[in-house]
Amino acid sequence: MYRFGSYLLVTSLCLTMLGCSSDDLNVTKGSDANSNTTTTATSLTDEDLYKPILLPFDAPPLAELDAKVTWVDQPVWNPYEILKDKLDETEPLTEVKTALSLRNDYPISKVNNEKIKSALGRGPISNKQVDYEATLTRRVGGDAKTTNPIMVSSTTDFDVSSLINMELFGFDWNMTPFANSEYVKSWQTSESLLYEKITLRNDIYWEDGTQVTAHDVVFSFQTILNPEIPIPATRTGTDLIRWIEAYDDFTIIIFHPEASPVNIWNINFPVIAKHIYEKTIPDDKSLKSSDAHRELEKNPLESGPYRLIDRSFDQELVFERREEYYMVNGKQVRDKPYFKKIRLRIMKDPNTAIIALKSGEIEEMEITAEHWNTQANDDDFYKLNTKATATEWVSFHFCWNCKSKFFQDLKVRQAMGFAFDHEELLDKMFKGLYAPSNGPFHPKAWMAPKNPPPFLKQDLDKAEDLLDEAGWGDSNFDGVRDKMINGKRVDFEFNVLCSQSPTSKRVSTLLKESLDQIGIICHVKTLEFTVLQQYNLDGNFDATFGGWGTGTDPYLTENIFGTGKKRNYGKYSSAKVDQLYKQGLAEFDKEKRAAIYGDIHQTLYADQPYTWLFYRNSFYGFNKRLRGYYFSPRGPYNYNPGFYSVWAAASE
Amino acid sequence: MLAYTFKRLLALIPTLLAASVLIFLFVHLIPGDPAAILLGDTATPEEIAELTHAMGLDRSLITQYFLWLGNVLQGDFGTSIFFRIPVLSVIADGAETSILLASMTMIWIMLIGIPIGILAATRHGSWVDQIASGGAMLFASIPTFWLGLYLILIFAVGLGWFPSSGFPSISDEGGLWNIRYLLLPSLTLAAPNAALIIRLVRASMLDVQREDHVRTARAKGLHPTKVAIRHVFRNAMISVAAAFGFTFAALISEAVVTETVFSLPGIGRLVVQSILRRDYPVIQGVILVIVCLYMIINLLVDLTYARLDPRVSLK
Repeated sequence: MYRFGSYLLVTSLCLTMLGCSSDDLNVTKGSDANSNTTTTATSLTDEDLYKPILLPFDAPPLAELDAKVTWVDQPVWNPYEILKDKLDETEPLTEVKTALSLRNDYPISKVNNEKIKSALGRGPISNKQVDYEATLTRRVGGDAKTTNPIMVSSTTDFDVSSLINMELFGFDWNMTPFANSEYVKSWQTSESLLYEKITLRNDIYWEDGTQVTAHDVVFSFQTILNPEIPIPATRTGTDLIRWIEAYDDFTIIIFHPEASPVNIWNINFPVIAKHIYEKTIPDDKSLKSSDAHRELEKNPLESGPYRLIDRSFDQELVFERREEYYMVNGKQVRDKPYFKKIRLRIMKDPNTAIIALKSGEIEEMEITAEHWNTQANDDDFYKLNTKATATEWVSFHFCWNCKSKFFQDLKVRQAMGFAFDHEELLDKMFKGLYAPSNGPFHPKAWMAPKNPPPFLKQDLDKAEDLLDEAGWGDSNFDGVRDKMINGKRVDFEFNVLCSQSPTSKRVSTLLKESLDQIGIICHVKTLEFTVLQQYNLDGNFDATFGGWGTGTDPYLTENIFGTGKKRNYGKYSSAKVDQLYKQGLAEFDKEKRAAIYGDIHQTLYADQPYTWLFYRNSFYGFNKRLRGYYFSPRGPYNYNPGFYSVWAAASE
Repeated sequence: MLAYTFKRLLALIPTLLAASVLIFLFVHLIPGDPAAILLGDTATPEEIAELTHAMGLDRSLITQYFLWLGNVLQGDFGTSIFFRIPVLSVIADGAETSILLASMTMIWIMLIGIPIGILAATRHGSWVDQIASGGAMLFASIPTFWLGLYLILIFAVGLGWFPSSGFPSISDEGGLWNIRYLLLPSLTLAAPNAALIIRLVRASMLDVQREDHVRTARAKGLHPTKVAIRHVFRNAMISVAAAFGFTFAALISEAVVTETVFSLPGIGRLVVQSILRRDYPVIQGVILVIVCLYMIINLLVDLTYARLDPRVSLK
C-alpha cells in the first residue's frame, strides 16, 4: 500500500509539473462555484460567448452630412470659469480668516457651515494666492483595480482615471452636460438629435508625445464595444451609440440610432491611445495578462493633467503635474493644475484616517457621520482642519422583495413604511444630520414632483390595520402575526439583509425593533458586501437595506425600477412606471420630462417597493490651507470641475 | 543534525500538498464570483460568463487545482486578479512590511519580556513580581486596536513624535529612517506578546529554580545573578524558545488588526483584502507561504531545542 501510495504521489507530481491541461484530463463535468447547479464546463466556445455588439455601418461623407443637417451649437465650457462665474454672483458670507476660525456645528446651526463653504469654497483671485508647488495628500478607502480608463469600476478607479486621463465631456453642479473646452474646440448637435459633431483641439498629447486625435476616440469606442473585452461598466450607455466616425484627425461624428434627450449621456466615454493598444489588444483581449498590458497598468499612458509616478499596492498612489498638459511649444494653452503632486493614501479604516487628518498626514477626507460629531469636533481637529457638509442625493432604503410571500401585497409594504420609527432614525440615531427621503428623486432635483408626497411617520395603528386587511392576523394568539398560505400557516418572520457597516446594522436593527411592536419577527442578517450583492442580484432575500446615488439623468433609475431590469433587486413591476420611463426617453421638453419623472416618483411612493428612509450628507474634512471646494448634489468631486477646483493657499 | 534537517524538509512535501488541497478547496467554497466582483453589478450574465471563461474559472475544480499546483511547482504562483501582477510580487510587497514589523516587535518582546520575566521570577512574591504579573495581565487583556489608536493619539497626534500610519519601503526615499513608521505598530503588537513572554519566562524560571542543580549552584556560593542567568534562565529558555518561534510566525501572518489600524501593507491585511476581493491566486499563494513559514519555524524551533538542551537528540 505504501509503495502504491508513493507511486501515486510521484505520478501526480510529475503530471502537475508538466502543466497538464483540461483536455489531457478529459474532464466532462464541472460546477459553478457560485450556484448549486452543475454545468458542463468545457462546451463554451468563443462564438457562443462573444456576440458582436457593434454592427457594420456605412458612414456618409461629411460634406453630405453637412448639407442635409442643421447643426446647433452646444455648450463648450471651461469648468473652472463656469464655477468662478457662478460663485462671483454672490459675495462670500464672511472673510477667509473668520471662516477658518469657525467651528462647524451643523446640524445644530447651519450658519457656520454656510459661511465656511461660502468663504473657503472659492477660486483664487490671482495666481499669487495659489501655492503651485503644493502636494495634496488625500485619503481613499481602497486601492485602484486599474489605471486603464476603460476598465474602471470602483470609486478609486474613477479618482485615478480623472487625474491622468482626458475627459471630453462633463457636467456641472446642476447636471448640465457640456464639452470640456480644455480638450474640445466645438460641439454641435443636429436638429434631428441623431448626430453629434465634435472637433477636438489640436494641442492634446499623450505622455509619449504622440498627438491625441479623433482616431483615438473612434478606436476607444470600438474597443469598448468589443465583446471579447470584459468592460461592462464603461460599455453601459456607450453601447447605445450606433457609430462613431473620424472624418479627419480632429473631427468626429457620433451617430445615434434614434433621437433621445439622453443621448448626451452616452457620448462621454474614456479615450485610450490607439497607437499603443491596437498593437497590444490582439494578443491579450483581457487587457490584463500580457506583459505589455501589465507594463501599461504600471506606467499608464497619460493624456490628462497628471501622471502616475509611484504606486505602492494597498498603500498609496502618487501623481505629478504634467507640464505637457498645459504648456505646448512653450506656450500655456490650458489652466495650470493647482497641485504639483497629489498623493492618494489608501486607508481603509476611517478611524485611522481621521487621526491622520488631525495630525496633518492627510489633508482631505470624507468623514463619517459618527466622526462628524465626535472625532471631527475637538481642538485637535480644528488645530489644522475645518469641515463642511452638504446634502448628497444618495438615498437609503429598505427594498422589499415583491415576489416574496411576505411583501408581494402592497398593503404589507405600506405597513412596513408606517411601522418603521423614522423619527428615531433621523432625530436620535443620526442626530439630525440626514434629511428624510420619500422617493428616488431629491426634493430639490428638477425631476422631483412639484407636489411631493408626505414623508412617512411612524403610525403603528395604521400599520396594524393594513396588515389585518392583508390577512396577517394572529390566528393562534402567540403574539406573532400569521397567515394561511397554500393551506399552511406561515408566521410573519423574515430576514433583512444588510452589509457589515455599523450604520447598516443599526438601521436594520431599528426596523427589527419597530416590527417587534406589531407582531412581526425580523432577523437582521449581516453579510459581507460581495455576498450581499450576489443575494441582491439573485433576488434571494425578503428584504434588504441599501442605497442608490442619483445619476446624472433620471432615466437611469429605470435600471432600478423597470420591469426585469438588472438592478431591480426586489422584482418590482408596474406597467404604468414602465410606460412612463418610455415616455421620459421620448420627451425633449425639460418641463414635461420633469412632470413624467415626478409621476414616476409619486407612483413609486404609492407602490412602496422601497421604504425610503433618508438622504445622506457628504461630510468632508479639509486642511485649513485648502480652498475651492464646492459641493454639488453628488458631493464636492463628482461633477466638473469637482476636484480640480481645489487649491492650496500660498503662505502669507 | 543535517540528516535530521533533510528528513524534516522532505516531510514538508506531503504536508504542503495536503495543505494546498485544503487551501484550494476552502478558497473556492467562499461565495461570491471574482468575475462578477471585477465587472461590477452592471455586468450581464453573459459578460460574467465571458470573464469567468477567460480566467479559467469555469473549468472543474480538479483541473483548476492541478493547473495551479503545476504552476506553483514551477515557481509561478499565478497573477493577482485584482492587481494584475504576479502573486509573488504582491506577497513580496507585503512580506517586507510584515518581516520588518515582526522583527522589530520581537526585539521589543525580548527587551521587555525577558528582563521583566527574570525579575519577576527572582523576586517571586515581592511587589516587583506583583507589578510585573499584574502589568502582564493588563497588557495581555488590552485589545490591540484600542492600544494602537491610543498610541497614535498620544504620540502621533498629541506629541507629533511619530507618523500615524503607512510605511514607505526602506528602498524608497528616507531609507532606513522609514523604520520609524513601524515603531508605534511594533509597540502595539509587542504589548500583549511581551506580556505572554513575561508570564512564560516567570513560570519556567520558577519551575527550574526548584531543581536540584540550582540548589547545588547556590550552595556552592555562586553569585545569585550568575545562578539566575546561567543556571536558571538558560534552562528555562528551552520551553520559551517554542513560544518565540510561533510568536514570530504569528506576527507575520496574523497582525491584520494592527496593520489595519496603522494602514500597513502587510501580509495579514493582504489576506483579508484578497478574500474580500475574491482574489483567488493571492489567497492561495499567501496561505501556502504562511503554511510553509510555520513549518520551517517549527523545524527551527526543534533544532534550537537540540542546541539549548544537549539531552535532546534529533532523530
